[in-house]
Amino acid sequence: MASISSRRLAKELNEIHAQGCPVGIELKQADDFVTWRFSIEVMGESLYKGEKHLLQFRFDPSYPISSPAVQFVVEDGREAPIHPHVYSNGHICASILGNEWSPVLSVVAVCVTLQSMLASCKKKERPVDNDRYVKNAPDNPKKTRFHYDGPYLFLRYLPATATRD
Amino acid sequence: MKVKIKQWNAVAQWRWDTGNKDAADDEEGDVCGICRVPFEGCCPSCRVPGDDCPLIWGECSHVFHMHCLLKWIGTAASKQQCPMDRRPWATAERRVDNAPPPTT
Repeated sequence: MASISSRRLAKELNEIHAQGCPVGIELKQADDFVTWRFSIEVMGESLYKGEKHLLQFRFDPSYPISSPAVQFVVEDGREAPIHPHVYSNGHICASILGNEWSPVLSVVAVCVTLQSMLASCKKKERPVDNDRYVKNAPDNPKKTRFHYDGPYLFLRYLPATATRD
Repeated sequence: MKVKIKQWNAVAQWRWDTGNKDAADDEEGDVCGICRVPFEGCCPSCRVPGDDCPLIWGECSHVFHMHCLLKWIGTAASKQQCPMDRRPWATAERRVDNAPPPTT
């Protein structure tokens, strides 16, 4: 029997093929229901004008109950965008990828949130603990317990009734 | 002329009454937000839709396949919150329905 993740991902993929991705987001690889890749580009004026980054999703069989492992690809000469919440190994400190994940979110919703995280950046810099983190980071960013500070709440793709105390 | 009925077939259709009146206009409104399968279908763990794969209503008025919601609530990551609005999940006793009762 197909796993929960493959059924749900098949639906998401159909939707992407039927409706396309939002502007600046392109599906690059989705040959299976384990690893998907998207290119992300911030449209309009921003610190990341002209940059295209590759975003990788890894799904375990219980997606969407469990969150996808999302990171920027940093191989073959690719680099992670320079951002206070993006480590140089591609790991991303974003609450929706961690303790604010919700199974009603989708792959495209995550892409759009990360795109807007870049778009709203005021200063290109690495996280202050970048070197320390990258030296000891696990392969899977989901194993990291990020501490979410900063101004990013990442709730905008939940319905308007979303509340947060 | 006289008509004699020799055979007839009954056809019935059912839907969960989700209280969402716009469901017919908005296909998206009629699927479980967790598995994205229509409420009238069953959750990914079931084979037969209907009473064996029922819906569950929260006091926040959000609806899911019961099995999908319980899977989520069973994880520590859920913090026992509704996936839609992150309010503490409280199962409604019965369908939350603001519509007036039928007049007949």
